[in-house]
Amino acid sequence: MVWLSPVIALTLTALMAMIVFAAAGLNPLSSLATFILAPVADLYGVAELLIKAAPLVLIGIGLSVGYRAGVWNIGGEGQLILGVIFGGYIALHFGTDGGVWVLPAMVIAAAMGGMLWAAVPALLRTRFNASEILVSLMMNYIAQLWLSWLVFGAWRDPAGFNFPQSQPLAPGALFPILIEGTRANASIIFALLAVILGWVLMNRSFVGFQLRVTGLSEGAARYAGFSTHRAVWIGMLAGGATAGIAGVGEIAGPLGQIFPTASPGYGYAAIIVAFLGRLNPVGILFSGLLMALIYLSGDLAQMSLGMPSAITGLLQSLLLFFLLTADVFIQYRLRYTAPARATEGAAA
Amino acid sequence: MIEQVIPLVVATLVAGTPLVYAGLGELVTERAGVLNMGVEGMMVIGAIAAFAVTQATGNVWLAVLAAMVAAMALSVLFAVLAISFRANQVAVGLALTIFGTSLGSYLGKPYVGMALVVEPSALMQAAARLPLLGPILGQLHPLVWLSWLLFAAVWYFLYRTRRGLVLRAVGESPTSAHAIGYPVQRIRYFATLFGGAMAGVAGAYVSVLYTGLWTEGLIAGRGWIAVALVVFATWRPGRCFAGAYLFGGATMAQLFAQSAGIGLPSELMSALPYIATIVVLVLISRNATVMRLSVPASLGKPFSARA
Amino acid sequence: MPSFSRRDFLKTAAATSLASAGGWQPALAADEVLKVGVIHMGAISDTGWEHYQAEAWHALEKAYPGKVKVTMLENISQIQDCERLFRQLSTQGNKLIFGTTFSQYASLKKLAPSLTGSHFECCAGIEPGPNLGVFEARHYEGTYLTGIAAGRMTKSNILGWVGAFPVPQVIYGLNAFLLGARSVNPAATLKVVWANAWVDPAKERDAVAALVAQGADVVSGSPNSPVQGLAAEEKGIWSIGSTGDFSAYVKKKQLVSFELDWSSAHINAAKAVMDGTWKPEGRWRGLGEGGYVKMTTNTPELPASVAAEMKAAEADIIAGKLKPFTGPIKDQAGTQKVAAGSTLADNDIKGMTWLVEGVQGTLPKT
Repeated sequence: MVWLSPVIALTLTALMAMIVFAAAGLNPLSSLATFILAPVADLYGVAELLIKAAPLVLIGIGLSVGYRAGVWNIGGEGQLILGVIFGGYIALHFGTDGGVWVLPAMVIAAAMGGMLWAAVPALLRTRFNASEILVSLMMNYIAQLWLSWLVFGAWRDPAGFNFPQSQPLAPGALFPILIEGTRANASIIFALLAVILGWVLMNRSFVGFQLRVTGLSEGAARYAGFSTHRAVWIGMLAGGATAGIAGVGEIAGPLGQIFPTASPGYGYAAIIVAFLGRLNPVGILFSGLLMALIYLSGDLAQMSLGMPSAITGLLQSLLLFFLLTADVFIQYRLRYTAPARATEGAAA
Repeated sequence: MIEQVIPLVVATLVAGTPLVYAGLGELVTERAGVLNMGVEGMMVIGAIAAFAVTQATGNVWLAVLAAMVAAMALSVLFAVLAISFRANQVAVGLALTIFGTSLGSYLGKPYVGMALVVEPSALMQAAARLPLLGPILGQLHPLVWLSWLLFAAVWYFLYRTRRGLVLRAVGESPTSAHAIGYPVQRIRYFATLFGGAMAGVAGAYVSVLYTGLWTEGLIAGRGWIAVALVVFATWRPGRCFAGAYLFGGATMAQLFAQSAGIGLPSELMSALPYIATIVVLVLISRNATVMRLSVPASLGKPFSARA
Repeated sequence: MPSFSRRDFLKTAAATSLASAGGWQPALAADEVLKVGVIHMGAISDTGWEHYQAEAWHALEKAYPGKVKVTMLENISQIQDCERLFRQLSTQGNKLIFGTTFSQYASLKKLAPSLTGSHFECCAGIEPGPNLGVFEARHYEGTYLTGIAAGRMTKSNILGWVGAFPVPQVIYGLNAFLLGARSVNPAATLKVVWANAWVDPAKERDAVAALVAQGADVVSGSPNSPVQGLAAEEKGIWSIGSTGDFSAYVKKKQLVSFELDWSSAHINAAKAVMDGTWKPEGRWRGLGEGGYVKMTTNTPELPASVAAEMKAAEADIIAGKLKPFTGPIKDQAGTQKVAAGSTLADNDIKGMTWLVEGVQGTLPKT
């Protein structure tokens, strides 16, 4: 049943897209077909879909670990940027002569950076009881300003006429390409690893069980002797590590160099991905691919259908709205047969 | 000297005004236990609605009304999903921001490159003749004066009226409020819609009076600053009101310092409000008593009467 | 760092471009429509940079009615996406493809050599490469002239500059602005404020307020929405339309203005592709016929003598007799950067990391 509402949400979103197309004087059906199929019509397109989805899936999995435990890390964006900063530092300083160790070092540094940034809200939550939602949100802005300060200052490419961008990363500091002739790189492997690890952690390990219990009821968790502090730490750090790796994957992949806008908002988009995927690793894999497809389709819709660029954001947000709505109606149906009292929500 | 100070005071008041509206609105929403992080999206919608109406009618007040209605419509969407359907408030709020920003840019296409010139109203001209405060008041649109009234009204409502007390009770403990017989969900709806309307006014102020221009990216993160502001203010209207000018003034101070040749990294100065917010949050959260007095206990948690 | 120097790069670039211009590129048939692709990083609703980029392809469509079809993408703010989109534009048969900002340059440099079915042009790109031309305006020629007007009209001798980000165009632009002002008014100084945003009209307004509070009575700048001019007008001081003419918005107090007019870059490139003569070039053009900098409106209140002074300087710049970055020029610390009689080379202008004497403000440190 839990998978019925995504299907409904998807259908409704597709319907909305068709309405938008029709309003613009286009044939709704063929436009929708173009919208969905054109971006992945060839191998290059599929590879693009994969590298777009990889960071979303990666971060989405990390965040979902926390979300399952009721730890609301919305600092994925900042943690991603820390991955860019830490991984970027290694790449810029040791990229040319670090040999085979450069890439592993970059990935580890990036994960550490993301975890460091996630540790701040985790520490403030466990030590001072400060809301991790609000702290992690603030940390996003601080990270962005830090990166901006670096790229406009110390990290500027001396050969780049002062433009705010670093030197191109050395070839040894770039993720290996998986499919020749495309941009599909190793970050896809990280994303798949995250799916597997996430699944094992949440479904097959005792820690995962503890996290899920904590998320369902803090009281029950405490009663069972599970530490809520530990849940906060695990949840935050999982998100931080994955976001950090996603960050370094951008500069060592599609960007190839460090820009002040290294993060295109993946940290926020991944929150939607996590919810869309029902906080389930396999679900997140699909929802990440879906969100990535909407990004790609939105750009292509501008190119071949003349649609405004806003269509990407509109469809992504509608998809989540529809999903949440569909959830309720499905639950209602279930509950309708049960002899429960009407909820307050129904009255209001 | 005074000629130098007045423009800065005026500029700070102007920069703080959208934060006063959006901040106080979000404060009331959060006091009822609802965390709506879609302020940015609602401000964008308010901004474009007000711009369109001013363009068509030339009437600023009509525009503000339109902005309130438009942004409120978005907050209804939030309320239905997050209050009635009890969906995760963080997720809905984020989606609302993406939705509002995208819809704003979609609807705003025809208004690109237009500028509004709003003539100083007769009220402002009259105020300019007042002794002492005249030079300042005369440069501020009545919508700025109204924001002071709003502050007074919100403060009075929350602390001096029975309904305000009930709203705070709902934020503290919806279960007890429900047990006593208060309509928790209806009160939360009211608070959320109020927050939406005020975000709309804030957006209208930015597009029609602050800049007189429509462009994508006009709100530029001010909705998120309003979310931070409410935390910074520890959910109290007085601190929120003062904090709005502090945050607005921080931008001014940064620009002023730059032009005076003070060489602090501007990124560090831009980060200050966020760092300050974290510090304040830690200070109030570390002490359980202060925490209970400050943070609405049920913030962000959906309520179900069945529980 | 890659081990080859810029000189080597230019050599290979030149060699490859010769090879690619070696006559095999076919001219377009007379009835064939030239498909042109453009990718804007920002929204065209921006009244500054992207707006003038869009004006250029509008001019191109007008110059060849029915012969040119432009496909435009805007708001592609994710640099990650550029490579894919440029490639898609190419596979969709666009023979000429434009990037509009420097942040697209890296993607284009990587792509252009392999996508030989199309030719690429990048505005504000760093240097030409195989199958990739770049073009940029000598903004400083415009700011130098507007600086003359500012220097003449200021009463407080304090000028203001609102910068978006310290990118090269803005740095040499504001330096030349003060040099122009000082050429007629040695007492002039320039206060600089960075908005640190490409688009944040409200902040630009605040920046103008901060400058006015410190006595500036003529403001110019680089983020370029009409909002700076409107704010200045409200305060009763002069503003300058720098890289954009906002006299339609700023009815009374826009002193002078210059525009960036990229239409010749677009039209010439399109014509070359149609004729089969396109080759990758680096074009850095200022005032004059076919240039990218155009002086536009002056306020009626500008004294005729000042207007004449600007005209004369403009003629001298076009004739090559006046070069704004001619020494002696000192930096903020008073160190001589350009010796008397010598002139800064183009690459030194582009790579400026210092501000001229008399500027109050800072650049991020490297």
